[in-house]
Formats: sequence, C-alpha cells, structure tokens
Amino acid sequence: MKTKKLISMALAGMMTAGILAGCQGSSGGGTPSSGGGADTLSQGGSAANVTNDYDLVTIEGSTHQYKKYKDMTSENITLTYFHFDQDETVKLLADKFMQIYPNITVNVQYENVANYNTTLGTLISNGQAPDVIMHSDCDYALSNQLLADISSYWNSDEETKNLADTVNSAGLGTYHLEGGMRYSVPVKFFPGVIFVDRNVLETLNLTVPTQNWTWAEMIQLIKDSTVLDSPDGMAYYGLGYYNRLDSYYGIAARQDIIGEFGFTGKTFDLTEWAVGEQEFSNLKLGGYIAPSTETQAMEDWSGDWEGWAGNTSHCALFSEAFWTFQNTWNTPSYKESFNLDIVPYVIPAVSEADAGAGHHSIATIDYGGITTSCEHPREAYELLKFMSFGVDGWYGRCEIYSDESIVNALGTALKYDVMPAPITKDEGVWDEYIKVYCAGMDDEHVQLWRDYFASCMQPISFGWTNIAGYWNFCDEYFNAIGIHDLVDNGTAQAADYVEEANRKANYYHAQAMLDYFGKGGYDVLSESETAEYEQMIADNQ
Amino acid sequence: MEEKKMTYADKKALRERMKRLKPGKLERRYARMGYVFMIPWFIGAAVFLAYPLCMSFWYALNNIRITPLGQKFTFLGYGNFTQILIQDPDFVVELVNYLTSTVLSVPIIVVFALIIAMMLNMNIKGKGFFRLIFFLPVIIVSGPILGMLNSEGAGSISAVDVQAISGAIGSVLPSIIAEPISDLFGNMITTLWYSGVQILIFLSGLQKIDRSMYEAAKIDGGSGWECFWKITLPNLRSMILLNTIYTVVFISNNSENPIIVLIKESMFSGTKEKGYGYASAMAWLYSLVVLLLVGAFALILAGRKDQYEKQVKRAVKLRKKEAREKKRIERRNRRNAARIERKREKGQITSHTTSRSDY
Repeated sequence: MKTKKLISMALAGMMTAGILAGCQGSSGGGTPSSGGGADTLSQGGSAANVTNDYDLVTIEGSTHQYKKYKDMTSENITLTYFHFDQDETVKLLADKFMQIYPNITVNVQYENVANYNTTLGTLISNGQAPDVIMHSDCDYALSNQLLADISSYWNSDEETKNLADTVNSAGLGTYHLEGGMRYSVPVKFFPGVIFVDRNVLETLNLTVPTQNWTWAEMIQLIKDSTVLDSPDGMAYYGLGYYNRLDSYYGIAARQDIIGEFGFTGKTFDLTEWAVGEQEFSNLKLGGYIAPSTETQAMEDWSGDWEGWAGNTSHCALFSEAFWTFQNTWNTPSYKESFNLDIVPYVIPAVSEADAGAGHHSIATIDYGGITTSCEHPREAYELLKFMSFGVDGWYGRCEIYSDESIVNALGTALKYDVMPAPITKDEGVWDEYIKVYCAGMDDEHVQLWRDYFASCMQPISFGWTNIAGYWNFCDEYFNAIGIHDLVDNGTAQAADYVEEANRKANYYHAQAMLDYFGKGGYDVLSESETAEYEQMIADNQ
Repeated sequence: MEEKKMTYADKKALRERMKRLKPGKLERRYARMGYVFMIPWFIGAAVFLAYPLCMSFWYALNNIRITPLGQKFTFLGYGNFTQILIQDPDFVVELVNYLTSTVLSVPIIVVFALIIAMMLNMNIKGKGFFRLIFFLPVIIVSGPILGMLNSEGAGSISAVDVQAISGAIGSVLPSIIAEPISDLFGNMITTLWYSGVQILIFLSGLQKIDRSMYEAAKIDGGSGWECFWKITLPNLRSMILLNTIYTVVFISNNSENPIIVLIKESMFSGTKEKGYGYASAMAWLYSLVVLLLVGAFALILAGRKDQYEKQVKRAVKLRKKEAREKKRIERRNRRNAARIERKREKGQITSHTTSRSDY
C-alpha cells in the first residue's frame, strides 16, 4: 500500500514538473515593458560615433588585410545575426569577423524569407531579440520598432561616403525623415538589369543596342524581335518577363523619383507609373511577351508546360532578376546545354539626356539594421557593416565566392547561389568582384559586364523595402482591386486609377509615418512634419 | 416491531447530521490522492488553456506591436472584430470556402474510413501490414511534409481530369460552391489521407460488436447488406459521431487550412491594423464558427435514433405506462376498500345495501 502511494505521488509529481518544465524560458515574453537596459541604443539618437581609427590585421587563409577598429569593446561579448541571406556565406563571413575580433562571438541564425517575419516575431516576443537583423518589408520592421537609429555611426563612418550615390542622395534606409535619421543600411544589392540574348538578335538580323540605349529603343527592339511566324516553326518573342516593366518605367522616367509609384520623398505621383503600366499591358495584349511558365500558352509554344522562355533560344530580352545570370545562365550545365549569349544592359532611361548620363534604375535591395534592444550597438554596427556594404566584408565575400570548392547544401558553389553585388564604390572591391563574377568569360564579355556595373550604381529600391505605408497601400488598395490584372487584360486603363491611387498612396504613407515615427512610435517627427502628415491625411481621407 | 416512517423534518435533520459528520481517515486519504492526481491536469488546463484563452481574448481587444523593448498595447475594444468582418475581404471568403469544403469533405472522409475499416476487419492475410499502410499517412501528413507533397502534385489523383471536372462544376454551380468542390477533387488523395485515425477508431468499434448478433441474423436469413444496416451501422453510431467531430477539428486545425495560414500571416503582418491582436480576433471568430459546425454535425448525428432503438424505447415507454396504470388501479382499489371498511364500521352499510356506487 505504501509503495503504491509513493509511486502515485512520484508519478503525480513528475507530471506536474513536466507541465511546469514547458513554461520555462518564457519569462520576459508576453509582458509589456517600458524600456531597454541602460546600455541599449536609444530610439531617439545614437549612443556613439565611429572613430575610424584602426589597425590592419591578417587572418588565416586570407591575403587581404582587415581593419580592426580600436573603438570596439575588448570584453567578451556575443552578437546574434538574424538573416535570410545565403547561410553558408554568412557563416563564413561571421568566422572571418570573429577572427578579426576574437572577443566577439557571432551567433548566426538563418530563416528563409517566407517564414522570416514569423520567426523573428516569435524570437522577439520570447525575449530573444537578435542584435542585428535583415528585413525585407520595412512596414513590419518599423511598425514593431525593431530598428534602432544608427545615424551617428553612419554619419561618422568614412566608408558610408563611398557608396552608390543614391544610398545617401535618395535616402535608402532613412525613410525620408527631415531629421536625417537612418535606421537601415542596404545589405544585399541586386542591380536592375535587362538581359539580351545576342544570338537571337543575330538570328533575326537585328542590331545589338548600345549601353546608353533609351526606353523607346528598348520597346522598339522588343517589338522588332517578336516574330510569330518564324521559319523554324517556333515563334520568337521580344521579352520574357519576371519583373514587370511598369516598375522599371516608373523609376526610369524621372530623376527626381526616388521610390516606386512616383515617390519623391513625401508624396506619390503615379502618372509615370501609369504610362509604364499601360505600355506593358499593350505589349502583353500585342503578343510581344513570351508565355509564362506553367501555362497552356507555354506548352503550345515550347511543348513543355513547365518550360521557361530563358532557355528556348527564341526570346530576345529578359526582365529577369540580377541573380538569374549566375544562378542559371552562367552555370556550367546551362552553358553546355543551351546556345545562348546573354549579356547585361542597364534599365534604360526614358529621356535621351538621362540615358547618356548616369541615371536611376530600380534594384532589389534587402536592408538590415540593429535592433532597439541591442546592448552593444557599436560592435553590432561593425558586424552589420561587415555583412553588408563594408569594404572588408566584400573582400571576404570575394574570397568565399572565388573558391568554388565551397558549396551550399545542394552542392552548388556559393557564387551560383544568389550572389549579390557590392554597393560600395571601392575600386579594389570591384576589381575583385569582377574577377570572381566574370571568371571564364572572354574580354569582350568582361568589358560588357564592367560597363553594365558602372551604369547601374544609382539604384532605387522597390517600394515595400523603403517606403513607410507602401505595403498597407498595396494590401488594402492596389492589390485588393487587382489593378495589374485589370489593366493587363484590357478591361481598364492605368491612367484612370492615377488620381484615386495618388490619394490613397499619400494617405497610407502619411498615416504610416505618423504611426511609426510619431508620438506612439519612435517619436522623432518634428512639429512641422507632424502637421504636414496630418494635413496629408485630412486631404486624402 | 413496526418501522416508523420518516417525516420531512426527520430527513432534514439527518441531512444536517450527515453534513456535520467528518469523513473517515481512509476516505480522507482517498480524497487527497484524488486531488493529487488532478493537480497536473488543473495546472495544465490553467497554464495551457485558461490563461492562453483569456490572454488571446484580451489580445483580440487590442492592437499589439511586438518591439524588442516589449509589447505595445493599444485598446481598440471590438475594433479588430469589426475590421475583420467589414473590411477584410479575405477572411469572410476563406471562411465560406472552409465551411463548404468541410461540409463536403467530412462525410467523404468518414465514409471512406468506415469502408476501409470494414475491409481491414475481414479475415484477410497480411491484415496487420494493411493496417500499418493505412495509418502511415497520419505520420506522413503531419507538418510541412504535407505542404511539400501537395506542391509536387501528390495530393491529387493524376488519372482524374480535375480541370474538366472543375469546368463542368463551374458551369452549373456558383463559384462560391464550385470552387471548394473542385478543390476537393484536386486534393482527393490528401483528403483520403486524413482518414488514418478514423479507420483505427472504426476498427475498434467493429471489433467490439458482439459476433453472436451476426450469427443470429444469419440464422434468421439476414443478408450481409441487411446485417450492415441493422447491426453494424447502429452499433457504430457513437463512433461515427466521434469520427465526424474528430475530422472537423482536424481539418479546422490543419496547418494547410487557409484560415490558419491567414491568421498566422496576420500575426506577423507589417500592415498596421494587423498583428497579434488582429490575429487573435480572427482566431476567436474562427473558433466560434468551428464550434457551430461541430454543434451542427453533433445535432444531426446524435439526434438520429435507429429504428430498433426506437421500437425498444417505445416498448419500454408502453410497459412503464402500463405499470403506472396498474399502480393507479391498485391505489384506487385500496382507497375504495378502505372507504367501504370505514362505512361498514360506522354501520352505514350492510352487506345487502352495498351498491355499485360504493366502489
């Protein structure tokens, strides 16, 4: 009886302990808190500057000498880097960073983009906020006040003066506040590009365009290279698209536009977008655009439901992403299997004057920042820089990319796994990068890539990464109506939406700016800014 | 000795005394052990059920932002609920799709599970192996593997021309009904994979049916078809209800369920109205709908009585009525006899004056 009782008690005790064990580790999560620790970066202003005083150190397996900044802590600390970049590359970069600063341990955590916000939100609500994060849509990062103000580090850092012009002039990562605050830095930069298959142009007896081509020339080339009744029995199309041309046109049209939908820093004007949207729709309806994959039209054209215009040798231009070249067209298997001669062109400007000079072009840029709860902001900033725009980080990246024996989980060399481009203008970095990027190419192609890279260094981000309230606008108005589909299938004209869309975009942006940066958020708006955004809301309600 | 009948006051006094009586040592020990065994459940229910429920309801009344420095609450009252029902087109559309597809797929899953369970209950070689095969999807379809299989097209029967079926259904029915039906055909394999646990439940039910009932039915000339309708199905009625509720709950909580996906997306959305509060409000609305659906299924299935049971109940009712009538007659006879006796004692009646009215 006694044994039975003891066993029963022990069992009940174990069950209770088991249940309670499940609750461990949740302390700190789910309870409102009023502020961070004493050492945390304040939301209103940065804690310190970058002194730019450093020693040069050599690390194992590297010929490059890395800067070791003297104003970094000598204490043993751990920084967590949460990202959706290429994981193997980031881990190798973190190793290099830890060799430069042996007292800093970098804990790298990866999550794919699809689950990124979910996992990040869970980590933060559990009180495990990382120190340095990447982010894709800025609305999530700003509405949850994930990002700390890093203006003083940025402004005092010499390397930030030598970045692609628009990073500072168009305020990429600043969210266009009058105070000049900076919350994000560009981490991954994929320049906008139009790929041209020169073999197709040669087959069709068409002239290869020059690097300073205009938008009108590009559209004409798309039309000229569309031959539906080709003698070889398979139609030729002018454009195979991944990115829509209206996004490209909206930036290429005017140099004062610094964001999608005609965003000029405070307000939107979708007039230019509407022209591009209508032009793209006309190309689609006119039969100049190659069929999309997994459609009946694709099966009818290429004989393969899952076919892709990029390997048919019957498509002249492509609005594919930057990474498609290295990920696909430049891989050894592709070069062996298909007769393609893909070369890059900058997205053309609309006016001849802009096309002749350097001009803005849209680019895919992923951003990153330091979290508001980070306890070592100076060191976190250095880590963020190393992983993103920093010169040393890029030397490290080039070393990693050039070694094709280093592979990802699928056995592919890291160079072929979504390799970004440097956003720094440092010549040494670019020489190294082009060496890696153009390995195995002849001089002519190397020069073409050099010309292209030289002309794409005025990037403008896609809207959701850099404009507050952009996602709300798309979510609740633009995509909810389905404007792209309506214009694409010819049931509506893009110009008809301009007036209403301007009002909506301005309203959502002003609302978001007040929410994120006003009293209830970061509280960094000046009185005049607050009044201006309130007026915008009232005007566009 | 004649036993004294207890009055109402006696009974009340006894109850009071019983209340004052302390339980014995052994009884106290048993009671204590009972509580000890209940503690884990109480703690579990309080921590993992009551607390999250209360918190999620509180969340539903707020706009919540999760910052690295803590959570920021803004009280909205019923704002989230009105926002979801009035301004969020996705939720209502997905809810209608969910209701239609669940109402369609639950009977299919339950009937399929019943058929397979009956086949597995037969005397066939390799019975254990087949049972394992049918239970295997329960392990496979959990988690992200199901999503991966579906994305590879493994969820549909390749021999079935889903497009043609969808086209035909779409031309006859409105899209709000046609779409879930088409989806059902498109995910037929997945739907049938959901029946692993139900098969096991039906198997256990089938094995508990008394074999002598079938033998008796066979002797009386009952066919297999009749045995199924008169013996098997009535005996499995409670299992059918259980499986139906299980299936509704399983489909409703499945990670592939679009509403679950929508709630999850809302939790971590950058859109300013959304977030934990908005997602909690969605979850509450959704759970109310699921509850109503479960209730509707339970009403339909639990309310149905089979013919045999109805007859038995009617017979029992009749017997009770007869017994009551008999007792009434007996009571009346006793009353009449006592009255006659009293009159006789008073000399009011003699044997020759007794008339029919005295009874």
